[in-house]
Amino acid sequence: MKPSELEAGWFPAGLQNYVLPKTAGRVVIADNDIALWRGEDGQIRAWENRCPHRGMRLSYGIVRGNTLTCLYHGWSYDGAGACAGIPAHPELTPPKTIRAKAYRAADAGGFIWVANPGETTAPPSIDGDWVPNRSVHIDATPVSLNELAEGMGAGLVSKITDHAGIVRVHGVEEEILLAFLDMKKHGAMIHTSVPASASEDVAIAVSKLTSRLRQVFKASSAA
Amino acid sequence: MKLYDYVLSGNCYKIRLLLDFLELSHEKRAVDFFPGREHKSDEFLQINPLGQIPVLEDDGAYIRDAQAILVYLASRYDPTATWWPVNDPSELGRVAQWLAFADSITSTASAARLHDVLGYDLDVAQARAGAHRLFRILDDHLANQELQGFNWIAGSNPTVADIACFPYVALAGDGGIELFYYPAIQRWIRRFVNLPRFKLMPGINIFD
Repeated sequence: MKPSELEAGWFPAGLQNYVLPKTAGRVVIADNDIALWRGEDGQIRAWENRCPHRGMRLSYGIVRGNTLTCLYHGWSYDGAGACAGIPAHPELTPPKTIRAKAYRAADAGGFIWVANPGETTAPPSIDGDWVPNRSVHIDATPVSLNELAEGMGAGLVSKITDHAGIVRVHGVEEEILLAFLDMKKHGAMIHTSVPASASEDVAIAVSKLTSRLRQVFKASSAA
Repeated sequence: MKLYDYVLSGNCYKIRLLLDFLELSHEKRAVDFFPGREHKSDEFLQINPLGQIPVLEDDGAYIRDAQAILVYLASRYDPTATWWPVNDPSELGRVAQWLAFADSITSTASAARLHDVLGYDLDVAQARAGAHRLFRILDDHLANQELQGFNWIAGSNPTVADIACFPYVALAGDGGIELFYYPAIQRWIRRFVNLPRFKLMPGINIFD
């Protein structure tokens, strides 16, 4: 069995605009497959990516209002993870024991953050107004935030978690947010946010620097 | 107007999409691509000696190749001249460039899907690696378009370049290519699905 618990702390799961209101998306954190979704209320939710009914990935699901409906047999779940309806048994009030496993999830600094259900610390609090900039897939996971910053030619200004921090990039006026998400066999994702006041030129420069990290963190087997 | 069509073909889907976007009345002639291999029959080779679908029959002429059919339909039947923007040479150049890119997507992402779904004998690892190389280029391009306020491949309007790239990108999961590596591509797929008169095809499970 794969572990269903994350390591302690908050993980940068993606940019806030990875999951728009009334949509669902898939994210992998270490070995854990997770469905992210927002209802029309805009609130981000992170659940184990399997329907309690037949194991279908809930990230394929359809969001209606503030419920998520599984694509396979249409079981639907309310915002807290409780089963709200089973189409094959329209008269049935679903038992309270049928629940999607919910992680903690929050938006901050232009990122979506995810933690274990029992995580006791508060989600990262990040000063200032930030806008999502870029998510890039890389083949090899950096060993540390320092190594990632070095690979980008950036200096670490302050750490937010072991996987995210504020950095200063050579040639870019503003400080930016830089984070990585280890997806084990899937490699890793790099995420960046820039200050809301940053110009379009800065946003594009940061996006291009981020995509260049693919050449820095290549799979060791790659020639 | 008649489309020689196969419902599970992404290349035929490109033509169905544009016919719907332009609201063009037409008939469809189903080709038994799998398992019948009708596209390789003597009769069909008279229509297209390459033995490929789609083929469009219009005004007594046969046009083959998905990208060529898109260009033909948009040039002839789009009064707004936005899907194939003939009045803007620089945008037209970009559209043509991404049409060629779409052909490369077919030879990689679509090949991986044919291997996984229909059991075609080919080097699937090479096909997937090729698709990932292209998807990185497309994800970079779409992300930078977004940062400049453009929602589509060639600029502020959808063009035949978006139609040509859409099917085999959206179907890539069928070939074992993970789309969650490419957030900008995923946002573009969702915008595409929300276009007026858009219709799904089997295997594309994205709902607005």
